[in-house]
Amino acid sequence: MTSKTETPQVDRRNFFQIAISAIGGIIATGYAIPAIGYVISPALEEETAGWIQLGSVGNIPLNTPVLFKTKVTQKTGWVTGYKEFAVYVTTDDGENYKAISNVCTHLGCHVRWDEDQEAYICPCHDAAFDINGQVLHGPPPRPLDEMNIRIEDGNIFMLGG
Amino acid sequence: MSDKGAWLEERAGWKAIWETVFLRKIPKVNWFYTLGSASLVVCINQGITGILLTFYYVPSPDQAWASVNYITNELAFGGFIRGMHHWGSSLLVILVVLHMVRVFIMGAFKYPREITWITGVVLLLLTLGFGFTGYLLPWDQKAYWATTVGTRIASVTPVIGDFLLKVMRGGEGLSVLTLTRFYGVHVWVLPAILLIFLGVHLYLIIRNGISAPPKKGN
Repeated sequence: MTSKTETPQVDRRNFFQIAISAIGGIIATGYAIPAIGYVISPALEEETAGWIQLGSVGNIPLNTPVLFKTKVTQKTGWVTGYKEFAVYVTTDDGENYKAISNVCTHLGCHVRWDEDQEAYICPCHDAAFDINGQVLHGPPPRPLDEMNIRIEDGNIFMLGG
Repeated sequence: MSDKGAWLEERAGWKAIWETVFLRKIPKVNWFYTLGSASLVVCINQGITGILLTFYYVPSPDQAWASVNYITNELAFGGFIRGMHHWGSSLLVILVVLHMVRVFIMGAFKYPREITWITGVVLLLLTLGFGFTGYLLPWDQKAYWATTVGTRIASVTPVIGDFLLKVMRGGEGLSVLTLTRFYGVHVWVLPAILLIFLGVHLYLIIRNGISAPPKKGN
């Protein structure tokens, strides 16, 4: 430690320093790898998407978004609970329907359709989207997400999970 | 000393601490003198794996067992992490007791190391406290009945026995109140006390040095 010998050979003290560091490194790795895997494990699970029934298309007026709410059972970790979905469904001809997510593309707050302003308003940072989900003003980086839907026997189904 | 070492030394003065802690002189001893260090290593293992277990464990009667089951059977490395904590706890009790036996037989508790011995006794009791409180947390049949029996043993204490039982259980019987207080004691109260006594224990070991094995005939 205090004076270094010029001889290149490894002396007893150096040998132990190297050996202890190596063993310590192996033990630390032996903790680190399981610990990281253990912590990130739930993040690696893929959510499976399925068709979720939202409701009947019969009551949707033209050019006025209707909020459909539904929930599906979902097991998270060891808890079986409900996951809620809310989507706005619009139509301008009574035949073609469009479903728009109510999750603001800025930071994930829920937007609501405002009749007076004729816009989706996000309460968090004063963002507004038009009826098609396009950004009118505010910080959102992109339009509201459009959901994948299909109509079957007058019922509307959404792909989600 | 390397440039980085000098840079750090000038600002933090780490060299004196490093030399005091790791480069101190020790007498010629045998392998039984590593039991204290082994206890410390397993103790650190309990800390690391215990902190990791709190990422998922829920101290609630309706979720405790399910969360432990999830850790054990569904999480990556969950069985390993829990296993290290489970087996580590038994190993720690064994190591701490053997360490104490070594200190006792070698007479290492004598002047000037009495305080090291006393703090060591407290650390042994704390280890047993960890074991007792941790045993309930999986909230399975073994945990439930072991704690029923364990707390009932405390209730035979003269005069205050019944009161003691209720304090430990948080009421007459085992309930959510028992589980949450055992959890609080296991992860907050005991670790806090442990750190204090372990700090004093280790300080005194470094301050006084370890004792040499007694010579024959002395």
